Amino acid sequence: MSRPAARKVAPKGEYIETDSGNKVSRRSYITGTANITLGGRTVIQADVHLRGDLHPTRSQPSSSGKEVAPTSISIGRCTVISTRSTIKPPSRISRGAVHYYPMKIGDNVFVGPQCTISAISISSHVHIGANTIIQPFAIIKENVKVLPNSVIPANMVIPSGSVVGGRPARIVGEVGEGWGVAGGGGGVGGGGLGVGGGGMESWVEGGDLRELVRSIK
Amino acid sequence: MAQPYPYTYYSCDCYDAKTTAGAAKRASAQLQAEDEDERTFDPRNPRSNFSLYPLEHLLYCEDCQQIRCPRCVIEEVLNWFCPSCLFEVPSSLVKSDGNRCTRNCYNCPICTSPMTVSSLDDPTNPSESGGPWILACPYCHWSTAETGIEFEKHTGITQQLSKVANGGKPIPTPKEREKERERRKELENRKSRDILSGSEDSPTQDQRRGDASPNLDDIYLNLAAFYKTQLVAQAPSNLFSPHDINFSSPSSYSRIMNLYSSTTSKKQRQKKAAPMREAALELEGLMIHDPSSDAAAIERIKKEGWGSTLSPAQKRAQPNPNIRFDTELRPVASLLMTKRGKRCRSCRHILSKPESKITSTRYKIKLLALQHIPRLSLRALTPTPPPGAPAATPFDYNALRSGIPAHFILHVSNPIFDPIRVTLATSSTTPGKVASRVTILCPQFEVGANTDVWDDALSSSLTPVKRASMLGPDGMPQIEAGKIWDRGRNWTSVVIEVVPGFLKDPLKKEDEELGEDEDVLEIPVFVRLEFESDVSAEDRGLGDSLGKKGERERREEAFWTVIGVGKIAPM
Ligand SMILES: [Zn+2]
Ligand SMILES: [Zn+2]
Ligand SMILES: [Zn+2]
Ligand SMILES: [Zn+2]
Repeated sequence: MSRPAARKVAPKGEYIETDSGNKVSRRSYITGTANITLGGRTVIQADVHLRGDLHPTRSQPSSSGKEVAPTSISIGRCTVISTRSTIKPPSRISRGAVHYYPMKIGDNVFVGPQCTISAISISSHVHIGANTIIQPFAIIKENVKVLPNSVIPANMVIPSGSVVGGRPARIVGEVGEGWGVAGGGGGVGGGGLGVGGGGMESWVEGGDLRELVRSIK
Repeated sequence: MAQPYPYTYYSCDCYDAKTTAGAAKRASAQLQAEDEDERTFDPRNPRSNFSLYPLEHLLYCEDCQQIRCPRCVIEEVLNWFCPSCLFEVPSSLVKSDGNRCTRNCYNCPICTSPMTVSSLDDPTNPSESGGPWILACPYCHWSTAETGIEFEKHTGITQQLSKVANGGKPIPTPKEREKERERRKELENRKSRDILSGSEDSPTQDQRRGDASPNLDDIYLNLAAFYKTQLVAQAPSNLFSPHDINFSSPSSYSRIMNLYSSTTSKKQRQKKAAPMREAALELEGLMIHDPSSDAAAIERIKKEGWGSTLSPAQKRAQPNPNIRFDTELRPVASLLMTKRGKRCRSCRHILSKPESKITSTRYKIKLLALQHIPRLSLRALTPTPPPGAPAATPFDYNALRSGIPAHFILHVSNPIFDPIRVTLATSSTTPGKVASRVTILCPQFEVGANTDVWDDALSSSLTPVKRASMLGPDGMPQIEAGKIWDRGRNWTSVVIEVVPGFLKDPLKKEDEELGEDEDVLEIPVFVRLEFESDVSAEDRGLGDSLGKKGERERREEAFWTVIGVGKIAPM
């Protein structure tokens, strides 16, 4: 595919596409770019804040002995961070100083609009509904659905396969065996994005988000 | 749970089908389907609540050739684990210690958020251990400091907590309790002897030690000890003699005692015994209602207000659900969760079996309905804006307009590897107070077989229905009755016309109050599938399993679905 060439002549679009297929909105706010890794084909939408500047201060000697930029936010593949969400690594105060801890987000994670995420780790195939707050150091395991408008308290561990919701969030159910299975494709995504207008987007909550990523332009 | 519109729920008819073993055969399933053609499924029927599921939650029994919902599967617990520390708890421990985590996992008694062990250490004058420690809620900031509980170590919270009562007083161990009981019994005996001998000179120290009313554990242990002594005194007759079912009979007691004690006492053979008496004293486990405690509670509510009392949910979560005030709260140990396999209730075949390792999210067996029955999904048909114009505002499913026809695309995708013939049926008006008119413009159509995606990419034989050229004057694509809307490799879409009903009947004057969710527009749709598939090996029988490969059989499947279109906006 000769996409890069085509992009050069195309008028300035909403997204800047990186070599690995990440789509980053021109209207997003990213600080500390050196401390952020995106896995590829990941979407950062408009008005998203990525606080890469809040990185661990303790020096981590790399294997080669060279000084490398500490990672503060690492996001996997085919993950979508929707508009107006903030990703802020969690911090702890110890001996009068603030220490930030690196945050990890897995593959095929959907973060709905207007969320504030300070989890220490979010595993793959997690769907986070709109207006959700994830307080510092929460751990979200695989295949979890977070209902919209939830507040996940600090340090909470959410086991895989759970549906959580409420303020504070508690486990309200299980996602079911069919979570994330598209089943012959062609389902309409339940996400509140309203993307696309032509054909049906074939993605489901918790499933492979490649189609969703492709449809975001 | 607020479900975003539009949604599709599938109905499992297991309640009506009465899942007996033979009932799931195809012949009867067909009969049933005919039966169901007669009446329209009503999503507002209270019973429907329990038969409607999203497709992801349904399993499929290949032997019964039926959908299986949570009501028609049997669950088997594979293991127990704590949702907070994710450690597996062996089933023997669950039996002896109950279904709660015995590590450091506690939930806030006020807000249910998981609590953390925090240090109360003064940073300017740090202690050696870093303690004392408390359990604190990061969400509502309640902590055990409010009930006067501190810990010396930050591990083994359960053990430490079991030894300290609210206010920091130690809780006696069972052994100490036993001693205390003996001591008081002795005291009581002496007192009664004194009364008998007529000497009035003993103003007996009947005050309970530590003046707090005895807790439930004490009462239970007292009662248990009392029954034990009774049983020893008048040893029971034949333990399970049928004529001896009497509340005050020794055998009943021993049976109950056996139920509640983990150590099974040896059966003792004895002859007939006289009925036992009930507990008469507090140290025999009698709980005496103390009116002064009620008065004190009322006084306290007067002084501190409702704020100091507990909500029903908070009480329910407590080990002792009879407490009233926030000073009596105890941190709630995390409830364990289970990993479960599922079997078909009528044929007992395994439908889903996760790998037993807690950290694994994989399944050994998983028979999903969405791999066997088509997925129906709805979306609004919005006019495509002319090129260059700003994109149309997204359709608001939460504000359907009464009386104005709206068009929706119903998308049916086929997960099976044979083409299917679909027949959709719905009543012309939706059930419920707000009757909306519904027309499926093309109720009969075919959906192609599911194939590998690469086949799709390679074959261009399928001619997509071109719509763009057929725009009407208003930018709205033209819709033709009896024709499908669009089609792809394994999906077909048709148009549904909906005229949302009026929330208030304009002809009726009186204002009839609408019930909850009456404004939700839900369309019950009956789906019938016909297809030919390879005869399964089991149906062919063992005899001719060799020859006749590729034999096809006609199959039929039918079920109700409910499509939630949206909410009708008030006028
Ligand atoms: Zn069922
Ligand atoms: Zn635990
Ligand atoms: Zn709390
Ligand atoms: Zn079965």
